[in-house]
Amino acid sequence: MSPNAGNPAFLLQLVSSGLTNGALFALVALAIVLVYKTTSHINLAQGEMATLGAFGVFELTRHGFPVWGAVGVALVLSFCFGAGLERGLIRPLERRGVFPVILTTLALFLIINAVVAIVWGTQPVPAPRPFPNSIQDKVDVLAGPPPFFITYVALGILALLVLVLLLLWLLLERTKLGLGYRAVAANREAAAVMGIPVGRMHMFGWGIAAALGTLTAAFVAETGGTQDFNLMGSILIFGLAAATLGGFDSVPGAAIGGLVLGLVIAVVPGVFTVIQGDMSLVIALAVMLVVLLVRPQGLFGTKTLERV
Amino acid sequence: MAEPLLQLSGVRGAYGDVQVLHDVDLIVGEGEVVVLLGANGAGKTTTLRAICGMVGTRGSIRLAGTELVGRPTEWIVRRGIAHVPQGRGIFGVLSVEDNLRVGAWGRRDARAVETDLQRWYDVFPRLAERRAQLAGGMSGGEQQMLAIARALMARPRLLLLDEPSLGLAQIITRGLFAQLEDINREESVSMLIVEQNAELALSFAHRGYVLESGTIVLSGSADEVRGNEDMRRAYLGY
Repeated sequence: MSPNAGNPAFLLQLVSSGLTNGALFALVALAIVLVYKTTSHINLAQGEMATLGAFGVFELTRHGFPVWGAVGVALVLSFCFGAGLERGLIRPLERRGVFPVILTTLALFLIINAVVAIVWGTQPVPAPRPFPNSIQDKVDVLAGPPPFFITYVALGILALLVLVLLLLWLLLERTKLGLGYRAVAANREAAAVMGIPVGRMHMFGWGIAAALGTLTAAFVAETGGTQDFNLMGSILIFGLAAATLGGFDSVPGAAIGGLVLGLVIAVVPGVFTVIQGDMSLVIALAVMLVVLLVRPQGLFGTKTLERV
Repeated sequence: MAEPLLQLSGVRGAYGDVQVLHDVDLIVGEGEVVVLLGANGAGKTTTLRAICGMVGTRGSIRLAGTELVGRPTEWIVRRGIAHVPQGRGIFGVLSVEDNLRVGAWGRRDARAVETDLQRWYDVFPRLAERRAQLAGGMSGGEQQMLAIARALMARPRLLLLDEPSLGLAQIITRGLFAQLEDINREESVSMLIVEQNAELALSFAHRGYVLESGTIVLSGSADEVRGNEDMRRAYLGY
C-alpha cells in the first residue's frame, strides 16, 4: 500500500482525475457504441477521425475563429464526413460481410493518421483551449496540506459528458429520428419492413459518432496542452475497453464503463505501490479480458442469442 | 377494367441460385381477403417476401398499377403494404407503444397517428395495459396482436399476414381472426394471408390459392377451394 493511501486529499485527487479521464473514455466509447448499435461494425478509425477533427479545430482557430466557434464548425464538418464515409465507402462493402468492413476501417485508421502527419507534421502543436486552463483556474476544496482542488478543465469535461448524455437521450428517446434509429438497432429487417430507411439510420449513427469523436479529441488535446497526429491513438483502446465493460450496444453502459475504467486506472496504481510505471494500458486490457471471460455482454449490454 | 389492388404475374423468386417460385400469378382485389395455402416449403412465405422486395424477384408485381419489382423494401411498404412477418418481427427491446409508433413511422399526419394509437388500444386492450412494457416480455398471443396492430398503424391498403396463428392457442387464434374480419369489413383493408390452419382461413377468406413447389395449382372462391377433392385430402384431412 502507498503511504498516502489513508490521506483523504490524496484519494480525492485520484478519484477526480480518474473521473475526468473516465469521462473522455466514456465519450470515445459512446462514439463506438453509436456506430455498433445499428451496423454491428466496430469503426477502428473512430479515434483517427477524431484526431482529424481536432486538427480541424486547430486550423480554424489559427485562422481567427473563436475556440468554441471552431469546435462547432468542426462538429458539423465531422458529422458530414462520418455520414459520407458510411454512404460512400462502408455501405457498398457491407454486403460482402464483416471482414471487408473491419479491414476498411483499419485502412482508414492508417490513411487518416498519415494524412494528419503529412499536413500538420509530426511535431506536437499547442492545443486550442476551450476551457480556462491556467494554473489558477481551479476550485480549491481542501486547503491541505496536501491540498485538494478540481480544475476548471476537469469540471468542464464532466459537465460535457452529462450534457452529451442528456442530448443523446433526448435525440434517441424523444424524436422520430431516434425512434427509427432504435428500431433499426433492435431488428434491422423488421425496421425495413416498417418503411424505415435503414441505410439513412446507419449514416446518422456514423455522423453522430464522428461529431462526438471530434468533441472528445478537442478536450483530450486540452488536457494534454498539445496535440499531434497520435492524439487519439491510445485512447481508442481505452474507449474499446470501456465499451466492452459497459456493453457494446448500451449508451448508458458506455458512459458508466468509461467512468469505472477511469477510476480503476487512477486508483489502483495510486494505492498499490507494488505497481510501477504507467500501467493504464495493461489495466484496460485486463479489464477487457475479465469482462469477456465473465460477462461477455458487458454490464448493460444485451445478450445476443445465436440460433443454431 | 380497373387495376386490381395487387397483381402478381409470372413471378419467379430465388434465394441466391435456388429458385423457389416459378411463374406465380395471383390477384388480390380491393377490399378482398385472399388466403394462400400450401405445404411447408411450397413458397408461401417467399411469395410474401417477394411482394415486399425481400428476395430476388423477376416478373411483375403491381400495386394498383405501380410496378414494385426491383424497388427497395422501404419504398414498397411506403406505397401502402404492411407485412406481419412470420415469427412476428417485433422490436423486443422497445416498449409496446414505441413498437406501435414505429409502425406509423412513414406517416406525416401526427394527430391522426395519436387517434389510431387510441383506436388499436381500444381494439386490443391488452396492449393498452402493457403500453410502457418492453414488447419482448409479452406472451406469444400478445406479441401477435402487437405485430398486427403495428402493421395497421401504417394505415395500409394491403395487409400481408404470414402464419398469424403460428404458436397460438386455438381460442386465441379464433379471437384474432374475428378481429381481422372486423378490420377487413370496417377499414376495408385488403389482406393476403398465409396460413397452416386451412379450415379456419377459408371460413374467413373470400378467395384462395394453393401453392405447390412454387407454382399455383388451384385457385378459386373459398368454397370452391374447400370443395376441391385433392385439396380436401391434402390439407383438410377429410
